[in-house]
Amino acid sequence: MKNKRLLLSALACIVSGVAGAQGIMGGHVTGNIQLDGQMSHADSVIGAEDVPEHLKLNARADILYTNGDFSAGLRFEAYQTPLLGFNAQYTGQGIAHYFVSYKAKRISVTAGHFYEQFGSGMILRAYEDRYLGLDNALLGLNVTLRPVDGLTVKALAGKQRVYWDYGNGLVRGLDAEADLNSLVKPLSDSKLHMTLGAGFVSKYEEEESIPSAADPASRLNLPLNVGAAAVRLNIDYGHFTLQSEYARKGQDPSKINDYIYRPGEALMVNMSYSRRGLSASLQAKHIDNMGFKSVRSQAGEMLFINYLPAINKQYTYASLTMFPYVTQVNGENGLQGEVAYRFKKGTLLGGKYGTDVTLNASTIYGLDTVQVGGAGTEGYTASWLGLGQHYFTDASLEVEKKLSKKLTLTAIYCYQEFNPAVEGEEPGLYHNHIVVGDLHWRVDKKHSLHFKAEWMGSDSRYAPDEGLTDRRAGDWLMGFVEWSIGTHWFLSASDQYAYNDGTGNYPSIAVGYTQGTTRLQVGYGKQREGLLCIGGVCRPVPASNGLTFSLSTSF
Amino acid sequence: MLGLLMAGTLMAQGAKLPEGVTLRTLDGKNVQSSVIQNDGKPVIISFWATWCGPCMLELKTIREQYDEWVEETGVKMFIVSIDDARTAARVKGVAEKQGWSDTGDDEFKHYYEVLLDSNREFATALNIGQDPPHTFVINGKGEIVWQHKGYQPGAEDELIEQVRNLLK
Repeated sequence: MKNKRLLLSALACIVSGVAGAQGIMGGHVTGNIQLDGQMSHADSVIGAEDVPEHLKLNARADILYTNGDFSAGLRFEAYQTPLLGFNAQYTGQGIAHYFVSYKAKRISVTAGHFYEQFGSGMILRAYEDRYLGLDNALLGLNVTLRPVDGLTVKALAGKQRVYWDYGNGLVRGLDAEADLNSLVKPLSDSKLHMTLGAGFVSKYEEEESIPSAADPASRLNLPLNVGAAAVRLNIDYGHFTLQSEYARKGQDPSKINDYIYRPGEALMVNMSYSRRGLSASLQAKHIDNMGFKSVRSQAGEMLFINYLPAINKQYTYASLTMFPYVTQVNGENGLQGEVAYRFKKGTLLGGKYGTDVTLNASTIYGLDTVQVGGAGTEGYTASWLGLGQHYFTDASLEVEKKLSKKLTLTAIYCYQEFNPAVEGEEPGLYHNHIVVGDLHWRVDKKHSLHFKAEWMGSDSRYAPDEGLTDRRAGDWLMGFVEWSIGTHWFLSASDQYAYNDGTGNYPSIAVGYTQGTTRLQVGYGKQREGLLCIGGVCRPVPASNGLTFSLSTSF
Repeated sequence: MLGLLMAGTLMAQGAKLPEGVTLRTLDGKNVQSSVIQNDGKPVIISFWATWCGPCMLELKTIREQYDEWVEETGVKMFIVSIDDARTAARVKGVAEKQGWSDTGDDEFKHYYEVLLDSNREFATALNIGQDPPHTFVINGKGEIVWQHKGYQPGAEDELIEQVRNLLK
């Protein structure tokens, strides 16, 4: 407790100190503050539990001091107690993040906490997602060198944050990226742009005692150092783009792969063509045992060194994200394709303002594996292109049409197949049909209205007596209306209703006010239990029923 | 409390734009944030993402007026995508299809400059949370003179008014 008070007064000192120093030392103080609160009371129909402390509160403040190439910052976080769905290990408060940094043309150095990414993140991505309650910042040293134009070299070492502590594993990384058009003179005027990159990450962890599956009396001989390497190539030629990255990981027995010794492997290829009015892309992904954590005995969402995003399209509509796909880091093969076309204005389908049509489809399967043993063995064998369990498929058609100067309509139809096995549940396959209508109406200069209507028909069922406990199951109707008044105020009301399985009715209202960078939002209503997902990483959010508020500002 | 926060908002006006942060161009090149400048004329920076509805609405709305804005004020708009590895590959297609980036056709006279900030390093340096859109007006000296969170229809009129104020 004493420790916390000390930290608090240190924070107060620093904040007032640097704020006072603004102008005097020629630097600037900037920052941002966010407060999220929640009150919830029991509701057995939707499965919301009572909150005995009445109020749950997440708060954070980032303070950044910048003076020329130099900057220093810290973040204070408080979870008293954490919002529903956040891990209880966040309970507490203190300075969670601090750093000093020097960033100039040829060199950048950061000491303290930092975020970083090599390539697309397949072997290393330190990042934060405040809504998922996920922060794998590294505490250590991060250096970036740009010795000549077109060459970037990064080197880092550190330990990862896990709630209010740090993982025992030590993470070291080195990455180089060359922009060939800047480095190779004859290519400097070429229409062909090429970027080549390569990275290496190694983690070190002390020995520990894990029993072997074959002989529980014997212990696994665990590798103390585990390496992962990746190469990537990016080609850009006029309207065409190719992005690709291939990664390999050495033997890395861990809790998430059940302590098997099979090396990991991943490939991501993205091809696209785009010009005015048309874009087309095809993306393929292969993942085989690529979960890479800095602490081998940790399950859960924390302590990942790398980042493997989901390959399917990211929607924002509630019905389309009801069953979100979660990346299977232990193995998957996925494909996504999209074509978007604009019918020009003045044509038959384009009408007066033009019409946008987007077709998207994706499909994801598990690997076709043959088991060869348990902990302490290779685990399984798998072929590259073999398909195992079907995890997810979706296909959608989206039409966006400006009807008049004031009205814009978007309509979506999506067919979706979802296997709950990706969330660790009993395998099965839900078949969902989803229709979305979205209308923006700019009433006049000061007022605008936004309507959304969504329907989902699903063969999934909610029947607790039969052991079917997924409250997202069944058929749904959803409605949403938002009224914007000027550029400051908005009022909204929404409802989500499971109309034949009795999993509930979720009405809610909200009001918000924005002034400059300050935003206050207050809501009241019921929140559906579900998975909150950002980029294929998900966090379960329990049902809640009551008041929520959020205040944020940056300065 | 709100009053305090708003006073705080004023405090940082005049802060310089960070120059040493690495960003990526649509053709895959690394550049530093010092490329965000306009030879002494005003700059608008808009943080967005392909999955962000209000961002798309804002950028489409401004697109319809952007040629006029540039002719009138000389402003240059940089749109910085915070799409991460999941959706970053979509940015180029969206920008080219929408007429936001220059593809060599002559449908518009002026285009946005598109940059990628996949791990939100630049966004973090500018104290933006995770919720785009967030818009800045930068004066000819590279100082932040105005910023706004979120987008509601009509906000584009306030934005260009701030740019006009710089020219007075």
